[in-house]
Amino acid sequence: MPVTSYLALGAVLFSIGLYGVLTKRNAVLVLFSIELMLNAANINLVAFSKYGLYANQTGQVFTLFTITIAAAEAAVGIAILFALYRNRNTTNADEFDSMKG
Amino acid sequence: MSDIAWLIPLFPLLAFLLLTMGARRFSDGVASLIASGAVLISAGLSVGVLIEKVSMVAPTTLRWRWLSLGDQSISFGVEVNQLNALMLVVVSVVSLLVHIYARGYMAGDRRVPAFYAYLSLFTFSMLGLVLSPNLLQLYVFWELVGVCSFLLIGFWYFKPEAKRAARKAFILTRIGDVGLFIAVILIFWQVGSFDWGPIFTAVEAGKVAPEMITLIALLIFVGAVGKSGQFPLHSWLPDAMEGPTPVSALIHAATMVAAGVYLVARAFPIFEASDIALDTVTYVGAFTAIFAASVGLVQHDIKRVLAWSTVSQLGYMMLALGSSGYVAGVFHLTTHASFKALLFLGAGAVITALHHEQDIRQMGGLWKTQRVVGWLFLLGCLAIAGIPPFSGFFSKEEILTAAWLDGRIDVFILGVITAFLTAFYMFRLFFLVFMGGKKAKVEETRVPRIMIWPIIVLALPTVGAGFLAWLPEHGFSHWLTEGTGIAAGPEGESPGWLPLLTVLISVVGIGLAWLRYGRGRVNSAQVEAEPAKEFSIHGLLSHAYYVDDLYRWVFVKPYRWISLALTWLDRYVIAGLVKGIGLLFQNLGRIGSTMQNGQAQTYALVSLLGLVILIMGLSAGRWFG
Amino acid sequence: MMEIAKALPTFILFSPLIGVAVILWLPRQKSQWIRMAGLLGTLPPLLFAFFLACQFNFTRGAVQFRQDLPWFSIPLGQQKWNFSYQVGVDGLSLPLLMMTAIIVVLAAIASFSIKKREKGYFLLFLLLEMGMLGVFVARNLFLFFIFFEVTLVTMFFLIGIWGLVNRERAANQFLLYNGAGSVLMLLGFIGLLTLFQTMDFDRLLGIMHDPQIMQMLAQNEMAQKVLMGAFLCISLAFAIKLPVFPFHTWMLKVHTEAPPPVVMIHSGILLKMGAYGLIRFGVELFPTQVKEIATILAVLGLINILIGAALAFVQKDLRRILAYSSVSHMGIILFGIASLNVAGLSGAVFQAVSHGFISALLFFFIGRLYERTRTTDITELGGLASPMPVMTGIFLVGGLALLGLPGLSGFISEFLAFLGLFHTQPIIAAVGTLGLVLAAVYTLRAVLTVGFGPTDTRWRELTDARWTETIPMLTMVGVILLIGVWPAVLGDPIQTTLEQIMARMGG
Repeated sequence: MPVTSYLALGAVLFSIGLYGVLTKRNAVLVLFSIELMLNAANINLVAFSKYGLYANQTGQVFTLFTITIAAAEAAVGIAILFALYRNRNTTNADEFDSMKG
Repeated sequence: MSDIAWLIPLFPLLAFLLLTMGARRFSDGVASLIASGAVLISAGLSVGVLIEKVSMVAPTTLRWRWLSLGDQSISFGVEVNQLNALMLVVVSVVSLLVHIYARGYMAGDRRVPAFYAYLSLFTFSMLGLVLSPNLLQLYVFWELVGVCSFLLIGFWYFKPEAKRAARKAFILTRIGDVGLFIAVILIFWQVGSFDWGPIFTAVEAGKVAPEMITLIALLIFVGAVGKSGQFPLHSWLPDAMEGPTPVSALIHAATMVAAGVYLVARAFPIFEASDIALDTVTYVGAFTAIFAASVGLVQHDIKRVLAWSTVSQLGYMMLALGSSGYVAGVFHLTTHASFKALLFLGAGAVITALHHEQDIRQMGGLWKTQRVVGWLFLLGCLAIAGIPPFSGFFSKEEILTAAWLDGRIDVFILGVITAFLTAFYMFRLFFLVFMGGKKAKVEETRVPRIMIWPIIVLALPTVGAGFLAWLPEHGFSHWLTEGTGIAAGPEGESPGWLPLLTVLISVVGIGLAWLRYGRGRVNSAQVEAEPAKEFSIHGLLSHAYYVDDLYRWVFVKPYRWISLALTWLDRYVIAGLVKGIGLLFQNLGRIGSTMQNGQAQTYALVSLLGLVILIMGLSAGRWFG
Repeated sequence: MMEIAKALPTFILFSPLIGVAVILWLPRQKSQWIRMAGLLGTLPPLLFAFFLACQFNFTRGAVQFRQDLPWFSIPLGQQKWNFSYQVGVDGLSLPLLMMTAIIVVLAAIASFSIKKREKGYFLLFLLLEMGMLGVFVARNLFLFFIFFEVTLVTMFFLIGIWGLVNRERAANQFLLYNGAGSVLMLLGFIGLLTLFQTMDFDRLLGIMHDPQIMQMLAQNEMAQKVLMGAFLCISLAFAIKLPVFPFHTWMLKVHTEAPPPVVMIHSGILLKMGAYGLIRFGVELFPTQVKEIATILAVLGLINILIGAALAFVQKDLRRILAYSSVSHMGIILFGIASLNVAGLSGAVFQAVSHGFISALLFFFIGRLYERTRTTDITELGGLASPMPVMTGIFLVGGLALLGLPGLSGFISEFLAFLGLFHTQPIIAAVGTLGLVLAAVYTLRAVLTVGFGPTDTRWRELTDARWTETIPMLTMVGVILLIGVWPAVLGDPIQTTLEQIMARMGG
């Protein structure tokens, strides 16, 4: 089953991304890791659109949308990061705790 | 005439309303005129009713619906029979005289209109009590006279003693009232009505279980004990002397305290149906009579001597009723009302003359300066001591006859001893106040005439009321019991030696008082030196057998301690529990909030863990199944 | 004309909103105007309530002026839960409705002493009135619950913002307890909803008294459990509101910390919602279940009476004395309810109304006293009869009414409650009469310590009642006297309704 290897790749990528999100100190790296997770999801979508039970184009269309939104999201994320950096002079994620209750 | 009997209490009520509304707009004179005028009308009507009742004994009843209870309708109204026609006259006439008298006694007080307002309210309540055709209404007025008594005892509210006395009076009588309260309710569930008529019919027809009758009778008697100052609820009455003297004469001698006796007389068929109840009434009465008389021997305050004497005489009346001497009890109630009111008003005159000095050790020699008051006071003393031909002799003799004929020899002996003690302490009082040398340091003032006249009026029945007993063919007792189905007294012929014995006993008492206090042997220094030693008989008596202290240590203090303990419990245990539960949740919240450290990565980790647990949980079935 | 008369409960219910609208429109600086608007805003409900009382048919026990409008529904598969706007008045709610309308007006007068953020105060005050009126006219459990919550929320803010020193803690405790009560009530209501698919009170009444349905339910153990559970939840909710010992601590805090006009309303009306709820939802709706816990109710009543009286005896603060005395007097309501006969239940309703007026009177007095002396500690007060005879006189009358003096309303209620309970639980009732003596003990202690005795120099210059104080107080005294002297005025509407309830109970 060729789909298994794609899914395995997606799972590995997702796990790497998740690991990055949870452990990296640098906020830029966290942002990159989120991109990694998004791409893992994209791989799954594409894989299923080719080898899925009802193979059709929808998955690839969705992927295109996701890539677009991911780009926009990365832009917004970087912008927020810039703003934070200007205020705090750091990109260390541990120091961003203003959400504390 | 009896048809308009409902008007009798109405006038004092109107006077009360007028005086309360007008408050300070009335001058003292106008206020006293309004109140006295209202009572005058009531007294006139009452006399009219009594005269009518002499010839026509059928009871007259009027009623209005007050409250419905299911299909029961509780009504208010008036009922006039012989007993309450007599009481009406006693109450309204004494009240009238006291109203007039108070104009002189209370002159110069700051709150004369208020005083008259309270007096009017009291007169209204007392007349309403007397006219009640049913137990519930009686209870209502019963409490109202109690509250008037409370207000008037505490009339000089700025005096701490008056405050204490008023509170004590209210609470002790309230204890009795609760007994009556329960009795009223029990009667309602047993008989289905509050009216006297159906109650008596049911009791006579044996519709109520005998134990229940006994219980009800005893509870009614508890009410009477509270109101009439019988042992063990007697101790408020001497303290009630903190009130103005006219109040003491009206409420705490002639009328309200006699309400207990009136109640027992009114409910007499219930008592007659239960031997235990009658025995209780007799023995409580007899004990109170001798107990209070012995305390009266050593009191120093002129009004307190009279107050203890009132307690004792009320015990006498109870004794009479308990020995089935219905007429004797009611008769003594009537005569006592006149001579005790006379004595109190006389004492008030003495007190006024001596600028509100009440200690008999500071008095003496008033015979020379206050001849009229002296004579009147002497009449009262002779009457209460039971010297013929004064009224007290006749009624006392009837009581002792009743006790003898009822076969209660022990009670009879107690009664005779009490008669002796009564004669002794009354003449001790008389001799100390009127004989001997002058001790008053201040100049005596003249007693105003307006205070003398009421006493003179009261002297008439004091001297003459006794002859009611000599009406042809037992006219008085026959009239009082006609149509009520109550026996006038125990059957039998009274022994001929009995009047001789009572007179002899009284004379001995007077003689002893003369020997000890009258000949001028005992001067004030000696009376003052009457030892106040603890644990002597004298000390025991002057502290009234330490009953008050006993109550303080057995009831008041423990109740306070219990309450304080409960407060502690409430404040720390119950509130603590509440606070504890609050703290528990607060701390749980605090633990939870430490997880919220503001770092998105921790949140993500936690939610990941949650997801893992969720997935594991959902698939657990597959793994283990 | 008849159409208008039919909608009277609705008019009464929403007429406080006129005042709300006017006050919203007034600028916040015009405090004098806001006060007047607040006072005037309480008058329309009173007028409508009087009008309703005139139109009320006293010989009918059933609910009158019933209005039923569909509101919304929740579809659930095949069936549908319908929620309607249902209001109506019967002999049980009419006296309480009248009492609410009158006391709120007097409390509005007392509220003139509020000196901060008047706009918010009077807005909440009028909303609170709407909530209370709604509780008494609602004939639908859902509606009842909503109005019950309205009173809760408005009270929370009234205590928390305008209270005394520890106001915030008092408000919190108030909310915690009553919130717990509301949850229980909601649980009970939902239990009923799931069983019978309706929240219409009159339909539920029909169902609960239908022998066929009840027989059917008797076989279903689950349904029995739900029913009993719902009953217990609802009773407990109202027991907290009443309050029944030991759920009374919140009420002490409210009595001591809330501003006096709010305490007037709280002690006068809000506690009575507990009594009303217990009769309406306990006795009327659950006739079989309530019989099972009658003895427990009587015992709880006894505990309330005795412990409340004992605690009131040793308190130093006048407010605390009255708070504990309320605990004691609510015990009499429990007595009345526990007796489960017409006499006892009318005693309970009488007590609700009479104690409403008495405690409103006493707290009015305390409010005015506090304004003059800045203390309610009775050890500091004394001899106030000299500088202010009228005020003290009225206080004395209030005290006498509290201890159940005949001729004043307190006596009727105590008498009827005891009369009822002596028929069913004579022993408990007999012990309870001890409370009558204890009531005299603590009341006289309070009244005499404050009014009698020598006057402290500090209090020599106190001013006596002004007419703005005399009129409200005399109004309350008048009502207390009226009920005491001529109880039929209150008794007649109650009697017919209670007789109907008893007849339905079949005992």
